[in-house]
Amino acid sequence: MIFLKSYAPLFEFALFNVLLAFSQYVVLRAGVFSLGTAAFAGFGAYAAAILSVSYGVDPIFGIVLATLGGAAFGALVAVPLARLRGVFQALATIALVQIFLSVALNWTTMTGGALGINGIPRAVHLTEMFIAVLVVGYVLIVMGKSSLGRSFDIIREDETVAVSLGISVTRHHRIAFVLSGAIGALAGAMHAYSSYSIVPTEYGFHLVTIVLAMVVLGGRVSVFGPILGAIVLTILPELLRGFQEYRAVLQGAVLMLSIIFLPHGIVDTMLGRLRSQQLSQKKVVRENRRTWREKERISA
Amino acid sequence: MNGVVVGSVYGLFALGFTLLFGVNHIMNMAHGSVFMWGAIAALMIVTQLDMPFGVALVVGALTGGVLSVLLDYVAFRPLRRRGAPEFSAIVSSIGANLILLALAQEYTQTKVFRFPFDTFPIRIFEIFGVRVQLLQLVIMGIVVLMVVGLFWYLFRTSYGRQVRAVAYSERTSKLLGINPTSINFQVFFLSGALAGIAGVLIGLAFNTVHFMMGEPFLMRAFVVIILGGLGSIPGALIAGLFIGIIQTLTISYVSAGVAEIVVFSLLFIILLVRPTGLFGTMSTAVRVSRT
Repeated sequence: MIFLKSYAPLFEFALFNVLLAFSQYVVLRAGVFSLGTAAFAGFGAYAAAILSVSYGVDPIFGIVLATLGGAAFGALVAVPLARLRGVFQALATIALVQIFLSVALNWTTMTGGALGINGIPRAVHLTEMFIAVLVVGYVLIVMGKSSLGRSFDIIREDETVAVSLGISVTRHHRIAFVLSGAIGALAGAMHAYSSYSIVPTEYGFHLVTIVLAMVVLGGRVSVFGPILGAIVLTILPELLRGFQEYRAVLQGAVLMLSIIFLPHGIVDTMLGRLRSQQLSQKKVVRENRRTWREKERISA
Repeated sequence: MNGVVVGSVYGLFALGFTLLFGVNHIMNMAHGSVFMWGAIAALMIVTQLDMPFGVALVVGALTGGVLSVLLDYVAFRPLRRRGAPEFSAIVSSIGANLILLALAQEYTQTKVFRFPFDTFPIRIFEIFGVRVQLLQLVIMGIVVLMVVGLFWYLFRTSYGRQVRAVAYSERTSKLLGINPTSINFQVFFLSGALAGIAGVLIGLAFNTVHFMMGEPFLMRAFVVIILGGLGSIPGALIAGLFIGIIQTLTISYVSAGVAEIVVFSLLFIILLVRPTGLFGTMSTAVRVSRT
């Protein structure tokens, strides 16, 4: 318990990262190459902060409203973005992040400009963060096992097959954007309520790369991929405190090495290996049984 | 006038980017860092070794080229060999970008550098009532020279024919006895060299060199190549000029913050209305495979 308490900020940060990684994971699983998570998180954080500071809304309602707003934001941007593919989608979502940043920096009356918003009530602690991660994780697991998750998998692996099976690609891309927007905004709102102040530069290109690194490292199919990736990439820099200056080098190297040598991420590679092992074991059992039966027949 | 100068450098920078995309179908997210390292190398040559401007330009180009080839070997070649989807190339180059950025930050100690005052003589001309600095003229001259050189290389030499063949289909060109490895080497070197030169020119024009200078240019380059059509060389140039002028006009008549919003909203609108860009052909868009 003491251990938990003394490292509480670190755990909170790790859980926040897990939420962000979930938001990135949903889109990647559906084969949408969106890098818009940073914009969604920024939207959620600003929505929550403005609601609480300027309008005195209760933090719980703030979080709910921010999440709903994030879903609406995701649905809105999905209208143009779901029509695009691959590189174009990636570029458009990066542009989205840039537009969000410029708006946050320049709409001073609403967002406080470069200074950000201060004096946000602290309502979110480790427990609330944990509950949020559990709820979102549960929803994602259930979704992954439903027809929605299977459609996502098919679209990611082969769009032509998906279309031939009667799965609407655009519709599912839109769903993925809405989910990503809602989860991203939830993460942002939670972060705003746990850190007293927010500044626009937190939600820039840097966040995009970090979150992407988490999901790439962890894996894009299993829900446990982003969890593992987020935890590893939050704790690793802390362990390497002595090499403070080379933290970004490390992050870059992790990103490069994992995409080159572990293209499916840690969790998915391991799960895949486990599955093939089980399959081959089953095969061995079946073969043994067959030879045994044949021996019996011969002896009879 | 300022817009034309900035725009032509945007064009030069985006040219290397679009060349890589056209030939290898790679989005090199580390292109901005190559650009920044070119500027830093040139700056070091000028300040430490006291070399003239021309030498600095060459050094900047060489640094960019070598760095870009290095990137190819480390970040892209293993992926290409496996036939990985383009998603992987983007992720891997983002990683490379982080490394290059961090090294530059460490090297420059997060300081902002300036070229010494006498690197380039300041002379002001008046042409048709417009005040023009000698530096601006020289920058435009260099850009024109580079572009003409690139066109000559691509469309008038046998190397260029090979590059275009590889861009069209790597397998077919292999059957015809073209070595794609050497072509990739050339393309990466050229693209890096263009970025390096653009870095030196921008460093001179704005007289600041620092480790974060690449990122905004990379973002602009996205807009430029989408506007001009992915993989289209004339498109990149014209779109570069266009973006430069629009940006300068918005900055001078409205504000710098609005300019950002205008430029990136432009990207959105183009992706919506005409995703192939103004000069892109359908085939360039079709060739973009799904990940």
